[in-house]
Amino acid sequence: MVDREAREIALERIRILFRLADEVFHQNPERAQRYVDLARRIAMRVRIHLPRDLRRRICRRCKGFLVPGVNCRVRIRQRREPHVAITCLRCGAIMRIPLRRRGDGEGA
Amino acid sequence: MTPITPRNILRHELIGLEVEVVDDSNPYNIGISGRVVDETRNTLLIDDGAKERRIAKEYATFRFRLPDGTLVEVEGAKLVGRPEDRVKRRIRRW
Repeated sequence: MVDREAREIALERIRILFRLADEVFHQNPERAQRYVDLARRIAMRVRIHLPRDLRRRICRRCKGFLVPGVNCRVRIRQRREPHVAITCLRCGAIMRIPLRRRGDGEGA
Repeated sequence: MTPITPRNILRHELIGLEVEVVDDSNPYNIGISGRVVDETRNTLLIDDGAKERRIAKEYATFRFRLPDGTLVEVEGAKLVGRPEDRVKRRIRRW
């Protein structure tokens, strides 16, 4: 059983780790990746989703930590349906985030 | 928000905290201080500014500085466990 407190602590730890990953990425990308991997493991352990903002910092395919302009490309695309396309430059996977969805904060 | 407190430090994030080794079975390790940069089941990796030092948790006592400035002494033996496992374990003690 996972108590509520464990989940709260877990979420806080996940945010800490992502912040540290951002701070350290420049000097030490491997360590940044390590922090993000840890964050994912913590989330899995207490069975919570990574918050949406953080989920988008990880490549869906290779699970690499994404830093826009460095190892991923972020583009708004209008074809068919407006969406944001995030291309992981390490593995080439494309994550598509549809825009304009009944004002639930999706996109942006 | 569930910030790190002396009560929940056993289950909280250690990476990023300032730490000092206040006791250890290896006397050469006593006095090492710096920032925790990584954690494994049995060790903490501490960046002391010059070098990264890996300290076995089990035989050491650590003094952590929490983000709010509080100092907490923790027996390393209580910290043994993978970082992702610590978040669950220890259902209320001390």
